Amino acid sequence: MKDSSVPLSNLNSADTAAPEHSKQKTPRAKANFWGVFLSTFVTIFLAELGDKTQVATLLISAESHKPLTVFIGAALALISTSLAGVLIGQWLARRVSAETLDTLAGILLLIISVGLVGEIVGL
Amino acid sequence: MPFDWNLVGVSVITVFVSELGDKSQIAAIALGGRTSYPKAVFLGNASTLVLASFLGVLLGEGTAQILPAQIVKGIAAIGFALMAIRLLWPNAESNG
Repeated sequence: MKDSSVPLSNLNSADTAAPEHSKQKTPRAKANFWGVFLSTFVTIFLAELGDKTQVATLLISAESHKPLTVFIGAALALISTSLAGVLIGQWLARRVSAETLDTLAGILLLIISVGLVGEIVGL
Repeated sequence: MPFDWNLVGVSVITVFVSELGDKSQIAAIALGGRTSYPKAVFLGNASTLVLASFLGVLLGEGTAQILPAQIVKGIAAIGFALMAIRLLWPNAESNG
């Protein structure tokens, strides 16, 4: 009779293969990239829906009857503001210690969240 | 029909000014500064804004009817609050 059971040692080796404190260039880091992408995408998408930028693009396109042109303009502006935002963040990161930056980022995100709650209450 | 560069300029300036210092840019500063994946934050931020403005142009005021603003903003507020808490929590350092 053939033994078809998988040796336990093989299963364990898969677990121990991943180092505890690997920082970058690992499959985990790759997954993290998409995690960061997704969490940024979802939160900002929800925050921006019905926000003044969207209302502005709506008004300009309604006025001009050229939605594609307005969309191109709006997209260019939004790409540059987000690029500027990330670059400012990176610039700050080189100047401020990690703990201070975490606290600052946390406070900023809290302000955004409070602002959103304010918008809900004000609606 | 000639391409209306004037209108592109108007859209760029209006949206750029209204978005400067707005919550999405502040979020980009906050997230971009502390992550080891600034490109992911940039891509996420930019693609989201482009999609949101695309929907704005496409659907117009319809977005408000499809998705009630209060609920959507409430979810966003919770999302930002969760990220903030994770950052401010004493023992939550060095996780992505």
